[in-house]
Amino acid sequence: MNNKFDALKDDDSGDHDQDQGSQKDCEKEKNDNDEDDDQNTAKKKVCVSPKYNATIAVPGVGEHPLQYNYSFWYSRRTPGRPASTQSYESNIKQIGSFASVEQFWRFYSHMIRPGDLTGHSDFHLFKEGIKPMWEDDANKLGGKWIIRLRKGLASRCWENLILAMLGEQFMVGEEICGAVVSVRFQEDIISIWNKTASDQATITRIRDTLRRVLNLPPNTIMEYKTHTDSIKAWEDFHGLVNAVGGR
Amino acid sequence: MSSNGTTSIGLNCPIPSRFEQSKDWSQLPDSYSQTPGGTLFSTTPGGTRIIYDRKFLLECRNSPITRTPPCCLPHIPGVTAPALHPLGKLKEMDENKDIPADDAQFVIDI
Repeated sequence: MNNKFDALKDDDSGDHDQDQGSQKDCEKEKNDNDEDDDQNTAKKKVCVSPKYNATIAVPGVGEHPLQYNYSFWYSRRTPGRPASTQSYESNIKQIGSFASVEQFWRFYSHMIRPGDLTGHSDFHLFKEGIKPMWEDDANKLGGKWIIRLRKGLASRCWENLILAMLGEQFMVGEEICGAVVSVRFQEDIISIWNKTASDQATITRIRDTLRRVLNLPPNTIMEYKTHTDSIKAWEDFHGLVNAVGGR
Repeated sequence: MSSNGTTSIGLNCPIPSRFEQSKDWSQLPDSYSQTPGGTLFSTTPGGTRIIYDRKFLLECRNSPITRTPPCCLPHIPGVTAPALHPLGKLKEMDENKDIPADDAQFVIDI
């Protein structure tokens, strides 16, 4: 595999090194609450922890609340660098959290559009309390729909995807975990993660909503991958490189 | 559907049908009730949910609150932009430019 970017071809969003690493104290790092179950109530509380100086976002006066709080994350990896020397968790940075439509726009309007990102970069938008990583409890048994896009479409599709997610258009209860847009060498990938990969009805409904809201070019392929399959593929790939490449 | 050839007394109108494949996905099934401002509250088996359509979310962008950057926006060159974008709405322009492979110029300020 001479071309280092070939290595990225199967590389879609969410791939990362397997070691957990120590938890990074990100800017808006929250305490470990049981967010998964308390999504509907947590956003209304204001919780100030003196130790971590962390607050939970709440809708401002006159703002339109969202069904859930969300956090933006950003990650970037230098392609070609052996992934075993990098910890995924330390490579991902939380940008901020929001609880209302207006707060969302404040963040989104001050972030570069995915189409203008360079290198091997990802934006992640996940419900508060769910880390954009396979190992998070919410993602362990889950999977994702991935859509590969030719260059030039990512910005529009990402925007439509997250507006649909924030606006609760998927109608799959608590199943949605978050969305990712991945900028890669010759293509871009958007994906939406859900909690239960084995829930066929949920997966079908997510797919149908994606078709409805994204206005994808004809012949766009949508693929569902469980995270465990992605982990296996990652392990196989990196095992192969080490064995044959003999670095 | 309209009857074929038979005369009938009374109104003869086709049954209106709604196809969900329409591009405008702000049209939702009748079970949703609409409140002023475009917010839809629906009663689903899981309870009431806050639902917004795309159009409404985009309209909220024009609110003056959104002009200022959030207070804790981290500074990541090439990613976050403390100054507001000149474009108010996303344009669909051809972004078919070469992606530079040189990553050295970008540094993550972690």
